[in-house]
Amino acid sequence: MTTPLVEMKDMCISFGGVHAVDHVSVDLHPGEVVGLLGHNGAGKSTLIKILSGAYKADSGQILIEGKEVHIHSPRDARHHNIETIYQTLALADNLDAASNLFLGRELTSSLGFVDDDAMEAETRKIMGRLNPNFKKFHAPVKALSGGQRQSVAIARAVYFNAKILIMDEPTAALGVHETQMVAELIQELKKQGLGIFLISHDIHDVFQLCDRLAVMKNGQLVGTAKTSDVTDDDVLGMIILGKCPPGAVPGPGAIAEEAASG
Amino acid sequence: MADFDRGALVTGWSFKPSSVSFHKLSALLTLALLIFAFSFGNDAFFTVNNGLTVLLQTSVIGLLGIGMTLVIITGGIDLSVGSVLALSGVMTGLSIKAGVPVAPAMAIGVVTGAVCGLVNGFVITKMRITPFVATLGMMLIARGLALQLTGAAPISRLGEAFGLLGNGSLFRIVEKTGGIFPKVVFAGIPYPAILLAVAVVGAAYLLNRRQSGRHIYATGSNEEAARLSGVLVDRTKIFAYTLSGAMAGLAGNVLMSRLVTVQPNEGVMYELDAIAAAVIGGASLMGGVGNISGTMIGAFIIGVLRNGLNMAGVSAFIQQIVIGVIVILAVYVDQVRNRR
Ligand SMILES: Nc1ncnc2c1ncn2[C@@H]1O[C@H](COP(=O)(O)OP(=O)(O)OP(=O)(O)O)[C@@H](O)[C@H]1O
Ligand SMILES: [Mg+2]
Repeated sequence: MTTPLVEMKDMCISFGGVHAVDHVSVDLHPGEVVGLLGHNGAGKSTLIKILSGAYKADSGQILIEGKEVHIHSPRDARHHNIETIYQTLALADNLDAASNLFLGRELTSSLGFVDDDAMEAETRKIMGRLNPNFKKFHAPVKALSGGQRQSVAIARAVYFNAKILIMDEPTAALGVHETQMVAELIQELKKQGLGIFLISHDIHDVFQLCDRLAVMKNGQLVGTAKTSDVTDDDVLGMIILGKCPPGAVPGPGAIAEEAASG
Repeated sequence: MADFDRGALVTGWSFKPSSVSFHKLSALLTLALLIFAFSFGNDAFFTVNNGLTVLLQTSVIGLLGIGMTLVIITGGIDLSVGSVLALSGVMTGLSIKAGVPVAPAMAIGVVTGAVCGLVNGFVITKMRITPFVATLGMMLIARGLALQLTGAAPISRLGEAFGLLGNGSLFRIVEKTGGIFPKVVFAGIPYPAILLAVAVVGAAYLLNRRQSGRHIYATGSNEEAARLSGVLVDRTKIFAYTLSGAMAGLAGNVLMSRLVTVQPNEGVMYELDAIAAAVIGGASLMGGVGNISGTMIGAFIIGVLRNGLNMAGVSAFIQQIVIGVIVILAVYVDQVRNRR
């Protein structure tokens, strides 16, 4: 077996007594899409925010390509080629699409001027691929629809040649057509060898796009499984009851009797 | 007016006449109306010399307004500028008294202002004190220091060179008449006005054409998003407060130089004029919105009002009332516009 692209081992984080992530271990291989599932508040976003540098874990270890790394800020994560689409999108409302896409790494001319024309041209290119109907290049993003904002956030994550892509409910606000385009994009990126963590509540999407899935419940990992080894109902049982089916590898969050038999 | 504003940044030509450019337009219209009204009422108002006077009087609010605008765009506020202005002047005055030549002494004053701003920035970002409280504290500290260091007495007899920055001018044309008083053909462009113009161009360039300027807008738009995008939010804020302090230091030197005396109790409530100028110019106290040219229009509205009302013999009390009403109207017009 190859070295995983990302390994998160025994991650823990709590917010004032709430164990949002409780001894969770997941991994991700190049060219693989791993779905993260769980009910609302299960700790999915918190887990990936540790990887993206938004939160600092209380304990646990992160390895990238086998080497231990310390990610203390979003900049550190970017340094390791980790890009993130946040559930909240994380856009600066008063800036336009191009300024948001390049926020924190603006293109500048040789004299250090912010090169707005170049950034807009690049933004038009990538948006042409992601959402050809997007026209509002000069509007502040607060004037965009939810789906348009989401397209901007996706464009920002895929523009910079990430190796590791984190997508937290990337299609929640998208229409049918745009969702399909994102699905195609994920498949294309996967072919290029990226590793992708995909958080989604849509079991159909997860089965269509993911190679493996990990289910969380109350901050704990219920189990992980290859999508080909489990059924819809198995996964629903994992999410709702915390029951780990025979095809899955149980985690600390699996209910006891199942953990013993599985 | 120097203006690097770019349509795409906060405004949007192709989309709709944005609230920002609308606001600026209405502020500019207000300014034109004021000038028209005052010219109509008094022949002496619309003259080159009075224009230069207004320019001179506005330069202090203008300088403070520039720093205030940067801070307001980050989503903060700087209540300390009036006191920092006084402390900076005091430091310059004391340095001159201690034998430092005027230019380096003034530099000491400006650095003093910058240090006060730096402290504001640290208290806000590292100690996580809200900008209102942090700068309120600095307002008291800087004023207290200024009064303590001088024993609350003005410092005078600072020499002619100290008065040059505030009273000198460029391209002054004087005709020799042979009499005792030479005839002044053109009063010249006052140095404070030139200083203001340079500061305006510099700040507009910073805000619209530099990464740090873009990060100032991003921080005020959505601090968490900016942080997640890799913007060094704390550093951006510290930078803005430091610049605001430095501008206050500069303004203090201009003001004290004009009086050729250092007054430790000078500049009381100036922070409110600076905030008013920024708000009239379209800056939002919610952060993320504002620009230098708007603030300059705001500063000139205040300057022209003061000057015109003075010439018309209106009392300082009434002037305050008028400016207060204008601040509220400016924000109201903006809100009505945005609600549609
Ligand atoms: N910054 C925070 N401060 C305090 N508590 C937090 C914070 N972030 C998350 N939590 C708590 O941690 C738990 C996990 O939240 P998280 O956002 O990770 O859930 P999620 O699995 O992403 O849910 P959803 O499907 O609704 O997005 C919740 O109980 C939440 O209230
Ligand atoms: Mg979430």
